[in-house]
Amino acid sequence: MSAAVMPASAPAEGGSSSSGGEEIAYVSYGGEQHLPLVMSLVDEELSEPYSIFTYRYFVYIWPQLTFLAFDAKDGKCVGTVVCKMGEHRGSFRGYIAMLVVLKPYRGRGIATELVTRSIRVMMESGCEEVTLEAEVTNKGALALYGRLGFIRAKRLYRYYLNGVDAFRLKLLFPRPQLGLHPMMVGEERDEQHMDSPYL
Amino acid sequence: MEASSSSAGPAPQPPPSIPPSSDQAVWADASQLVAAACADLQDGDLVHGENFSLFAAMSALEIMDPKMDSGMERSGYYSIEEAIEDGIAPVPLSLDKTLDIQRTLDVIDHLFSCEATWHKGHTLAQTVFTCIYLVKIERIASHAVLNSFCRILRATCNALISVVSTARTHEEEDLFTMSFGLALKDEGDDKCLSVLNSVEETISRQLRACKSQALSKKKTLEGLESLQDNPALEEDYCRALLCRLRFRKHFHHVVTCMRRPNGRGLDLARKHITSCLTELSLMLKSQEFLKSRSDITLHQGDASCTTASGCCPIGFDVSLNSRLLSPAPPRAVEILAWGDAIRYFEKLLHDLDIICALSLDPVLENVLQFIAQFQKSVPDLVPRAFLQTLLIQDGKLYGRDLICDVISRALSLPDIVGDKEFQTNEFVVQLGQLVFNLLKILCTNTAWQRRKLGKSLQDWSTISIQLELALKREFGETRNVLAHENICMRVSKQLLVWSQEQTYWIASRFLILGFELDLYSPSEYCMVYWYMHVAFIKLIEKMQLRILASNENARRKGKKKKDHSKDSGRDAAFPASCLLLQCYVLLSEGLSMLLAALRNESKSFQLPSIFNSEQERFMQHFDLLQKARIPEGITYYSFKEAAAQAHMADVMKYNFFKEIQKIIPSLKGSFAGDLEKLAEIRQIEQVAEHNRIALNIINHVGAGDPSLRVSFEFTHHPHFAVAVVKRS
Repeated sequence: MSAAVMPASAPAEGGSSSSGGEEIAYVSYGGEQHLPLVMSLVDEELSEPYSIFTYRYFVYIWPQLTFLAFDAKDGKCVGTVVCKMGEHRGSFRGYIAMLVVLKPYRGRGIATELVTRSIRVMMESGCEEVTLEAEVTNKGALALYGRLGFIRAKRLYRYYLNGVDAFRLKLLFPRPQLGLHPMMVGEERDEQHMDSPYL
Repeated sequence: MEASSSSAGPAPQPPPSIPPSSDQAVWADASQLVAAACADLQDGDLVHGENFSLFAAMSALEIMDPKMDSGMERSGYYSIEEAIEDGIAPVPLSLDKTLDIQRTLDVIDHLFSCEATWHKGHTLAQTVFTCIYLVKIERIASHAVLNSFCRILRATCNALISVVSTARTHEEEDLFTMSFGLALKDEGDDKCLSVLNSVEETISRQLRACKSQALSKKKTLEGLESLQDNPALEEDYCRALLCRLRFRKHFHHVVTCMRRPNGRGLDLARKHITSCLTELSLMLKSQEFLKSRSDITLHQGDASCTTASGCCPIGFDVSLNSRLLSPAPPRAVEILAWGDAIRYFEKLLHDLDIICALSLDPVLENVLQFIAQFQKSVPDLVPRAFLQTLLIQDGKLYGRDLICDVISRALSLPDIVGDKEFQTNEFVVQLGQLVFNLLKILCTNTAWQRRKLGKSLQDWSTISIQLELALKREFGETRNVLAHENICMRVSKQLLVWSQEQTYWIASRFLILGFELDLYSPSEYCMVYWYMHVAFIKLIEKMQLRILASNENARRKGKKKKDHSKDSGRDAAFPASCLLLQCYVLLSEGLSMLLAALRNESKSFQLPSIFNSEQERFMQHFDLLQKARIPEGITYYSFKEAAAQAHMADVMKYNFFKEIQKIIPSLKGSFAGDLEKLAEIRQIEQVAEHNRIALNIINHVGAGDPSLRVSFEFTHHPHFAVAVVKRS
């Protein structure tokens, strides 16, 4: 799916953050009253069209993965993230479906904060990895996810209806079995017979 | 929804098709429940079942939402008949003969732009088939020019769909072949060439008459019907039409010739390609005249003109076919500008010409190199499909060479060509299948290609492991039995080395395509180049083993290697292709070490993240290689250890970039005459030179200097970066 965000410096901690003198309040999806807010934000900012069923699919099954950002000053909803998680080819994975921050509010770390909250819940729920798609032209989103540890795993040719390619981004969480001590793989390396100063 | 049945009275009997109540299930009246549920559901609510998937949710369309409803009425016509009745596609196009020909040219030009747009990844229904004249071709039977043009265009479209469908290289580009039930041909289309030829003949006679009339200053053109009423314009209109009709004719011939079996039509196709290019330039030349004649008030925007004249064409309706399309949100279709369409066809013809110039070389290594080189210019779907259908016909290379013979040739074991036992060997059969798959994959678009290559690595690796096991089983563990080696063992060994070589070739290509697809971020370059250098080293190693074995084979036979020393650079122990690979090794190693040293000494090119570490990113990027044990024993820790030890002093000491500069002159000599290779060598030389200088500057200033800014750019080579050094 898509994202409309901008690169930002560091994610803010806590339930609200203050940067540029304005307070932003972050709220987990709280029910039907939040749905129109999510829908209008996504509809306004993202190129792909989604029906109300798509929104309901996400927010009803995984309300804990949807977050909203409000401008504390006037209560306006300025950003949202919508996600899911489940089994995928033998692994439990999270998926970030939509991430939106209104233009005037971009560049303040709101998107990073929203998506970080979702990813944390996914990690705590036992996800092994998180994936999403982003337009190859969406430099802001790519930079944001890059900083969070996502790699560009694949390029999807003309993925979007507007004809733009997508990157499939993936974030792999550390697994305990990966933490092999270098000593345990050292012997295998001795089998290398490469004439290189760099091995 | 309203529940209509009431709960009073006896429970209704289920219809006979519904199974009767059993131990597991009983039938009950659910009307009340449904009625209650109906009252409970609000607009947009849904009853969520366990099996309600994201796919189901996203398949729902909101009717009358312009972003989703592709069938939404835009033009106001419900049918093509209604549009025709309303006069949007009159025949003739005008009662004024001059205006008629002018409008005909606009239709022709817009169709040309539509055709290019179709090739570039849209549906036929939303491009070429938005032309009412072409869709209702029987209406224009009396309009000789437009009729002949539309018929041959439709026949060409049909032929191209057939080529692309046969090649099946279009998994992600399947919009091309979807015809949505449109009439792609009728009886008349078989005669499209003769119809076109006679129209062309008439107009060219007219053009000759115009010229001679100009010479003799005669007032009338006897015996010929003029295109239009203004004698002063006749010659220019004749020319404008002729080049367009002739382009269609030659392009149709190109397609037909290239479809002939065994590449038999390639030479003739090249002649038609040359003619097509000539006609394209004449089309461009006619633009000035057509612009001067066009009605200013009808002008489209200059940059987006879909016609040479700049006028909007009549007879098109973009929304007529929208109801035919699949029930999905509409894709944005912007018809290419006419100038861009000309450039598209120029590139297409150039790509097709490269294919036609292929020598049908049966040496697999050369075929793979050819495809890789061909893909560098990012050819579109149509030429890639043509290449694939040429390479693979009837289960043979070029429809001519058995794949097992291709493999035995690749093993440099000429005595087993045609050997029945070799041909039916299960490994050879499997490898043959893998080679075919590889050829097909290499003809797909880069994004799809990389994914497929990655997946195929597992197959190649598995067969190599099986071969190795079989070899050990049959001939024991010993490796030094050269004296007693029989032919069977030599073939098995050679087959193993060769399949490993292919595996590393695929792995290298998988890695370098990541650069073309922009999949790596600068903080990952260090590990990517490190892995590339490992893969290249193994590739050289396998290549050298294969060559050594085949030289050994030739020596045993006591035969001078006359016929098999066609590879350039055979005067040396190893061919120049090994030396070229050596440059890739040095470049990858040099870049990786430089990046590692910068990480260690200036803390740049690192990307700490809160959720994972570099290890996870390494795992993800090289997951497919690691699973396929390419190469054996290489893990994240191998990289980490190597990178941790890298320092500027070592990078300076090993000076990889300078080493490359030493190899270059000999490489240039070996590849003298091979323009593509020379261009590649020149690029490598530039990358090496720039990086050598950058390295010196970094070393001079000190990698840890806080004012130092190093970035990497792909200005000289698509896969090998150049370090750019700045001081702030």
